[in-house]
Amino acid sequence: MATKAAALPQLVDNTSILTRLFRALLPYLLIAPTLLGVFTFTLLPAVRTVHDSLYQPPRMARGEPTFVGLENYASLFNPQHHLGARFGQILGNTLAFSLATVGVSVPIGLGMALLLNRRIRAMGFWRFAVFYPSLLPLIGAASIWAFLYADTVGLINTTLRALGLPTNNWLGNPNTVLASIITVDIWKQSGYHMLFFLAGLQAIPQDLYEAAELDGASYWQQLTALTLPLLRRTLLFVLVVALTFSFQTVEQLGALGMGKPADRGNLLLYFIFQNIGERRNWGYINAMSVILAGMLLVFTVTNFFLLERGREDER
Amino acid sequence: MQIYRRRNGWSIAADALTVLISVIWLLPLIASVFMSLRPASRPLSQDTLLWALTAADERGIFLPWFTLENYERALLIAPWGSHYLSSIIFVVGTLVVQWFTVTFAGYAFARMRFVGRDLLLYLILLQLMIPAGVLLVQNFATIRQLGLYDTHIAMMIPYWASAFGTLLMRQAFREVPIELEEAARIDGANLFQILWRVYIPLSIPSLLAFSIVSVSSHWNELLWPLIITRSPEVRPLTVGLNQLFTTSDTGAAYGLLMAGTLMVISPLIVLFVLFQKQFINSFASSGLK
Repeated sequence: MATKAAALPQLVDNTSILTRLFRALLPYLLIAPTLLGVFTFTLLPAVRTVHDSLYQPPRMARGEPTFVGLENYASLFNPQHHLGARFGQILGNTLAFSLATVGVSVPIGLGMALLLNRRIRAMGFWRFAVFYPSLLPLIGAASIWAFLYADTVGLINTTLRALGLPTNNWLGNPNTVLASIITVDIWKQSGYHMLFFLAGLQAIPQDLYEAAELDGASYWQQLTALTLPLLRRTLLFVLVVALTFSFQTVEQLGALGMGKPADRGNLLLYFIFQNIGERRNWGYINAMSVILAGMLLVFTVTNFFLLERGREDER
Repeated sequence: MQIYRRRNGWSIAADALTVLISVIWLLPLIASVFMSLRPASRPLSQDTLLWALTAADERGIFLPWFTLENYERALLIAPWGSHYLSSIIFVVGTLVVQWFTVTFAGYAFARMRFVGRDLLLYLILLQLMIPAGVLLVQNFATIRQLGLYDTHIAMMIPYWASAFGTLLMRQAFREVPIELEEAARIDGANLFQILWRVYIPLSIPSLLAFSIVSVSSHWNELLWPLIITRSPEVRPLTVGLNQLFTTSDTGAAYGLLMAGTLMVISPLIVLFVLFQKQFINSFASSGLK
């Protein structure tokens, strides 16, 4: 026992450099798997996409690509070009789709969370009722709505007819097709946002509300002065996630008109998929991908700065 | 946690609004269930409402209001058993690895100081900002290079690193009082014990929320598995559902489509209903005392 006790300080000295090295490297080891995955399946392919957007693909399978600079981008905004003629409409649709779905589904999600964060009977049922659409595959949700929207046999038109109201070909009418697609997405995503607002609300300490109540603050005063400022981080998180989703949700178009009529119901990512088969479009597809990613980056960074700056001002 | 202490006009209005929103949100599901049970010989036509339980056809013969024929036909179209198994392997294999990666990375970014931390976090967050959809073709090339084409691993591997989960766990771990970690360290606990005994138990709601999001999004994944697999025994349920769309003609086959859709989504809905009690308990116990 005595020898062990005497040897101990020396042991600690010997391992301290190794221990220190291990401690210094530990954070990098912990993030290594995540970093490696992000590098291999996000960053590297993203760089390759930018690279390929500056080249025209070879005519033959074995040829060398030709460097064309920004010509692929210029062609997309040229109405005479076979893709450029359609690109403007689709870009506008994509922006409208994202702003409308995020702008409506995030406030609805917050409202649902506020409604369901109360003492109410059969709570599980109400939460399920608004959350279940986000459990559905996009193509499944779209197929349900394709049935609701269908022109002659659809539920909405059948109901309208029974009530003696005029019907509408929701997915065939160029003026309603985009709004119909947006509606599906709002229905699908709101409950998903609700989940995170609910988590945020329940992280707020109850005694803050008790104190506010003692001071005679009304529900609306508590909401605007206490709840919403404390939900700011959750809101930022939800907005980032919602925007990212909105730019990527295109699988539903397979059941909701496939971009028709006349591209009025088309979205950018779906347009990319529609043209991915042809080699001559490779450069343009990569240019469109860069534009899509760029728009998302602008939106996300803007959000981040608006909300972070707002938080700084409060201090 | 907001609690109405008195019943008043506002709380009754809020209850009514809750019921109204829930009913609107449930209607499409109820409609699809009704449609899936509807005989193909009795299509939804101009003079029949979906909800009508009995109706006479044009010859005056009353038809049964429901049938399982749509489900029988949907079952014959695809090898559902292997699709189900494949979906389960995909979802579970993805989630289990994610638990480790997001916990480790979330802790490192929440509580450790190291050179380049913010830069590395921003690099990882780029995953949230770059739509995975636009990377599909380049990632397909990578998977072929790795020799993983048409395997379960190929479906999972791009999701093992999750910026979303890392951000969520970082947020959750930051709210854990640092004194608890310090106390555990004084007691001689190593990092893995601290994570397992202190951080994870206090972050169960976030971990559950992340798990639900992960499971539901991968259960529903379509494009990536479609591109990266070829064999029916590797392909998940959504691809089977997709097959249902390509084999059925438009219009009259909505009953069949609803049956197929419900077959694919029901396991997840059942799982959620069972899971929800734990879910709500862990969420609500922090507020409702």
